[in-house]
Amino acid sequence: MGRIVLDKVTKNFGDTQVIPPLDLTIEDGEFAVFVGPSGCGKSTLLRLIAGLEDCTSGRVMIDGEDVTEVSPSKRGLAMVFQTYALYPHMTVRKNIAFPMRMAGMSEEEQNTRIAAAAESLNLTDYLDRKPGQLSGGQRQRVAIGRAIVRDPSAFLFDEPLSNLDAALRVGMRLEITEMHARMNTTMIYVTHDQVEAMTMANKIVVLQAGVIEQVGSPLDLYHRPCNKFVAGFIGSPKMNLIEGAEAAKHGATTIGIRPEHVEVSATDGLWQGTVGVAEHLGSDTFIHIHGIDGCDPMTVRTGGNVSFKHGDTIYLTPDATQIHKFDAAGLRID
Amino acid sequence: MSNRTLPRLLQSPAVILLLIWMLIPLSMTLYFSFIRYVLNSLRRPEWTSPSFSNWRGFGNYEFVLNSKDFLFAIQNSLLIVCSILFLTVILGVLIAVLINKTFPGQGIVRVLLISPFFVMPAVNAVLWINMILDPVLGLQGIAVGGLNDLVAGLRDAPVVGWFFSLWPEFNPISFRATQTSAYAVIIMVTWQWTPFAVLIFMTSLQSEDQQQKEAAILDGASAWSQFRFLTLPHLGRPIAIVVMIQAIFHLSLYAEIEIVSRGNGNKNLPYLIGEFANNNIGAASATGIFAVILANIVAIFLLRMVGKTLME
Repeated sequence: MGRIVLDKVTKNFGDTQVIPPLDLTIEDGEFAVFVGPSGCGKSTLLRLIAGLEDCTSGRVMIDGEDVTEVSPSKRGLAMVFQTYALYPHMTVRKNIAFPMRMAGMSEEEQNTRIAAAAESLNLTDYLDRKPGQLSGGQRQRVAIGRAIVRDPSAFLFDEPLSNLDAALRVGMRLEITEMHARMNTTMIYVTHDQVEAMTMANKIVVLQAGVIEQVGSPLDLYHRPCNKFVAGFIGSPKMNLIEGAEAAKHGATTIGIRPEHVEVSATDGLWQGTVGVAEHLGSDTFIHIHGIDGCDPMTVRTGGNVSFKHGDTIYLTPDATQIHKFDAAGLRID
Repeated sequence: MSNRTLPRLLQSPAVILLLIWMLIPLSMTLYFSFIRYVLNSLRRPEWTSPSFSNWRGFGNYEFVLNSKDFLFAIQNSLLIVCSILFLTVILGVLIAVLINKTFPGQGIVRVLLISPFFVMPAVNAVLWINMILDPVLGLQGIAVGGLNDLVAGLRDAPVVGWFFSLWPEFNPISFRATQTSAYAVIIMVTWQWTPFAVLIFMTSLQSEDQQQKEAAILDGASAWSQFRFLTLPHLGRPIAIVVMIQAIFHLSLYAEIEIVSRGNGNKNLPYLIGEFANNNIGAASATGIFAVILANIVAIFLLRMVGKTLME
């Protein structure tokens, strides 16, 4: 079980309030991802849940129980850190055993759990090595193993993949997602990478400056961003936000159109521009276009086999059903 | 091969200089230790200049081994060095952990803690033996005297007077005496060198990974367990370094021993060498060779220990 509720939680560091009163519910078994630009308070929020920081006011509840004043180790949560935080002078086996040893668990029970965790994380051959002799991905797996053996009610991940290279990151992303599907335990995952958020989460929490901008499923956020910030943050490449006369035609201050919802043509279309850079990925081409009123450059995503070059004239037609409209305050208009 | 000749040629002045630097004193000591060589002798004036014709073989070594102070000096050297190492490492770790927390006035406290290390050894010895440990005029004498006065006063008090009349009169300890002079040296050198240990341990503690500590907190480790399983292993290397450096320094203590009791009841090898060197250079050199051997034995143990922690 692991239903986590934040009730009007705030956090001040000195005189600065980094988290204004915030309410959030994470249901049991959910994979929640906190995403936002760096410095938005997502890590602080995770540390408040873990108990590594004290709430200035408000309550943290786990399974209906108020744990605001409960020490971190008694909350039944396990955390995986960005720097892995392995104990460098202990072997992998001892690292994984450490929380059980602290809990005074019997030797046999420890060994069964270590064996099971090592098996599921492909660490069996490395149990007698020290962390310094492992690669980044293996170290992160040890850190996850140390979390699993505690049998926690929820896992907390603090940017666990940022120290890995791109290829490994994709692999570990899949492993963690699969682990969640298998164990069905609540997981809270902090990242600044919206791709990780989109691919892993059941529920994404978008944060900016300590404030929750929107909570929803990945596709919810993609199709119905509630404001300009979320619209620009979720999706890759970023949504094009167009201001001025073009937006006024739709009765909005700003309109947004995703790069994949724009039709490209060399001969005719609604907007005319000049190709700046065309990025060929093979499957897709991202074209950055200059000279369109209210949005410079505009990015469009089109098929892999187009041959636009720098300086070519290009015509664009947005899919009218996919245009997002925002008012002067940046909020969505339906 | 020819491409190695030039580098070797260029290295040679430095290598030769270092060899001379080491070998000349060592071979002169060896030479003097095998001949009769005294600074002043009316009876045998030929012994006052070093010469192979005064060859004594292992006679100097035999003389040193049979002198009553030799074994005592070795024992005492080890007692002093080991006690100081033990005390400075323990006090150093405790103080370093204590002041590693943030508190107001941290900067001043740290500077004050380091300051004993800047006192000259001879000044340190004079200060302690005369102003602190002296049984009459020192702090010790004043404190014991004050305590005695207090007890004497309380003896006349109503109700509890009978209890205090059971108390004996306290006697201050004289740290210049044969039995206690080694302890005086241990106390004053520990006071002077604990800051060194604190300094090294403190810098090491500041490089300790905070996320590891947080992970340990979440893993349910108590403050003691964190210290035992994270901080202490983290300090392994600096402890080895502190032990090695201090062992080298404290095997050659001299000023403190001279000032506390002029070697009365408290000699170490350097002090013994100094005593022999007042006249008998041959015996002093033989003792010097013994000191080199002892230092090497200690060094082998220490290098093993340091090597082991560095390998991890």
